[in-house]
Amino acid sequence: MTTAAITAPSKPGVPSKSRARRQAVLWGWLFLVPLVVLFTAFSLWPIVASWAYAFFDWDGVGPPEVFIGLDNFREALNSTSFWNAFWNSFLFSLGALFIELPAALCLAMLLNNVLLRGRNIYRLAIFLPVVSTTAVIGLVIAVLLAPVGGVVNEVLLGIGLVDRPINFLGDPNVALPTLVVVDIWKGFGITLIYWLAALQTVPKDLYEAAKLDGAGARQQLANITIPVIMPIAVVVLLLTFQRSLNTFDLVQAVTGGGPIFSTDVLPTYIYRYAFDANIAAPRYGFACAVGVIFGVFTLIITLLQGPLLAGRLKRTAA
Amino acid sequence: MTTTRGSSRGFSRRSVLLGAGAVMATAGCNLVGGGGDDPTDAGSTSGGEGGGLSGEITVALVPDPPGASEFYRAQFDLFQEANPGVTVNIIENPADQQLNALELMFQQGEGPDVMRVQGGAALTRFYDRGWVASLDDLVNDDFTARFPEGSLEPTSSGLHREGKLVSIPLVWGDWGYTHLWLYNTDILAENGYDGPPETWEEMVEMATTITENGGGSVFGVAPVAPQYFIEVVQPFAQKPGVNVTTGEPDLANPNVVAAVEVWRQLQANGVNMPGWESWDGGRPFTEFAAGRLAMYPTATWHVAEVRKLAPDIGMGIAPIPVPESGRLAYAARSAAHQPIWSMSAESANTDLALAAMDFLGSVDFYKAYYEEFGSFTASQVAWEDQAQENEDQAGILAVAATDIRTAPNPELLAQGAEAFWADAGGNADLDVKNAYLESIVSNVDYEPLAAAIDTQVEALIVQYEAENADLRSQLTFADWDPLEDYTA
Repeated sequence: MTTAAITAPSKPGVPSKSRARRQAVLWGWLFLVPLVVLFTAFSLWPIVASWAYAFFDWDGVGPPEVFIGLDNFREALNSTSFWNAFWNSFLFSLGALFIELPAALCLAMLLNNVLLRGRNIYRLAIFLPVVSTTAVIGLVIAVLLAPVGGVVNEVLLGIGLVDRPINFLGDPNVALPTLVVVDIWKGFGITLIYWLAALQTVPKDLYEAAKLDGAGARQQLANITIPVIMPIAVVVLLLTFQRSLNTFDLVQAVTGGGPIFSTDVLPTYIYRYAFDANIAAPRYGFACAVGVIFGVFTLIITLLQGPLLAGRLKRTAA
Repeated sequence: MTTTRGSSRGFSRRSVLLGAGAVMATAGCNLVGGGGDDPTDAGSTSGGEGGGLSGEITVALVPDPPGASEFYRAQFDLFQEANPGVTVNIIENPADQQLNALELMFQQGEGPDVMRVQGGAALTRFYDRGWVASLDDLVNDDFTARFPEGSLEPTSSGLHREGKLVSIPLVWGDWGYTHLWLYNTDILAENGYDGPPETWEEMVEMATTITENGGGSVFGVAPVAPQYFIEVVQPFAQKPGVNVTTGEPDLANPNVVAAVEVWRQLQANGVNMPGWESWDGGRPFTEFAAGRLAMYPTATWHVAEVRKLAPDIGMGIAPIPVPESGRLAYAARSAAHQPIWSMSAESANTDLALAAMDFLGSVDFYKAYYEEFGSFTASQVAWEDQAQENEDQAGILAVAATDIRTAPNPELLAQGAEAFWADAGGNADLDVKNAYLESIVSNVDYEPLAAAIDTQVEALIVQYEAENADLRSQLTFADWDPLEDYTA
């Protein structure tokens, strides 16, 4: 290498810049090793393995031996219960995108107002469900919403809003909307925090300048707040979408996917085939195939949002 | 995975007392030696104290139910005391990892000498791989006398493969097949009834009255297990709803339709307790114990749970009601026992492993298990006297004595149909439970839902007949009268 010839000799005891850079890079890699190892072992390998297992008729015991090609995929895509679970998962996402996101943004704007007293207490109260154990929330919700002796029905009956108890979790037409609302309530705090973080990136001098120019609150929102937070909004939207699409613990704890699969979502569908003792033998291979399909669909839907949002961003910037 | 070697540490007080009691009880007899005509003498066929047994064996088990770790260690300590020179090492795996752990151990040539195989499917798998040893050397009159008469028949025991005994049970098989009608005697009395319903018609009338009188806080019934109504009118094989007297899918049979219709009408008329549709497994006995639910069909284990929650509740136990025209079938005992313990075919210390198997199948062991956990074990002679003194357990035994019949088990009797059963059983879309729940909850006709499943099952049979032309005959036991015990 000619580089070596033109490099100035370093002073004794003082490492050259390139050596120092190499050492820094080496240290960087060294610190990355634990992450890479753990990521490979616990994220990458299970993902790759599930792709492989999806091509086998495998009950999860011993090595997969019966290769069946695309049969698991074919069975899933032809199953009405798979599409029912898929649609229900999608409804959870729609609820999050069209109710939770805008509602959380409105509340975040309110809680971002420095004139509001006790706003940290409000933030904490709204965030508490996020850090509460879902299984416990599920139990409490089931008790609160019970048609016999449940507090919610007692109140509704007491104030005369209904003349008979509502079977919130037992009526197939009501159970899914009920769970979507509970899911929104449970995840509301984290979306609120995202929006608060986004709102705090808006420079205050922009608002001051706008006020000097005579802009009202609505004009400030439309011309300052929304455009400035839009790049972060894209990330918030994608994160909320991903979270809501993977709702599992709440459904499993409250209804187990019932009644008659009316609240079944793809994660509970997968769980049932992989672990449910009521099915004679676990079908890990099939469950993996459904997981792969679910992952691909999620990726496609996510990628579809990217260009749409990018286009909107450009329009907003213009 | 947890491993314990030799003696235990930190037993509960109860375990220690039980262990001491068991030592006293076995002081006069050898755990693995001697043996008399009385089957309540400890299990005992070979070896014995000072009988030359020595060495180490490994037992792979599951610490289930809670407290089992201490129990098993205490029991194997007794085994070691009776056999100086013997060491039993215990490997504990969580229940959902046991089979994978065993697979791995055998594949690495380090299989345990004795293991919990967790049921028929795994036993078949391990047997097919040559990992399970024959236990026929244990079988003699003394051994047979420990179990209910006729329950060790190779064609119906559930413990045999190709005519050889390859496993030993733990809990009593009939315990799982028995289904009960639980009723609250106080609620029934308040509504003018002095006994449980014996027919579907009586049940409908009583449930309707109780719900009407309950004012929204007490309800007559909840359809938490409608399939128990179906099993008194239809001789089904388990999952896919094949009628084993005809070999045909038969979920849309008029008798089954009538059974589901009973519950659908109760639901439509607002008699069923609302909310049952989303209950988990523990909710029925919780509602019953709270006095909000008067009656429901259930499995036997709910009885003890109700008693724990409400020790003084007036609880009655009765058979499942039958149609006015009489029953057409019984709860099907498809195998006398569930296989739990097996011995490795690769054990380096066969005599010792066999002695340990004999110990696990001994009356003393079964008795200790019953006393520790309250579960009926496979050896009825070990606990029946005590159970008869317990009103709840006596009630369960009374129902079990009259409401179960041995049914032909195509999975045990029809070699060659295994792939069909695995496929049919693993397909949740073929589960009749979905059809009757949809009918009851959504108030729609059951018959077309069931017919749709029948069509799918028939298509599956036809598909498998392409590879196994005898499949239909393997599913059919035309000579069997569903009102009688099946004898091969």
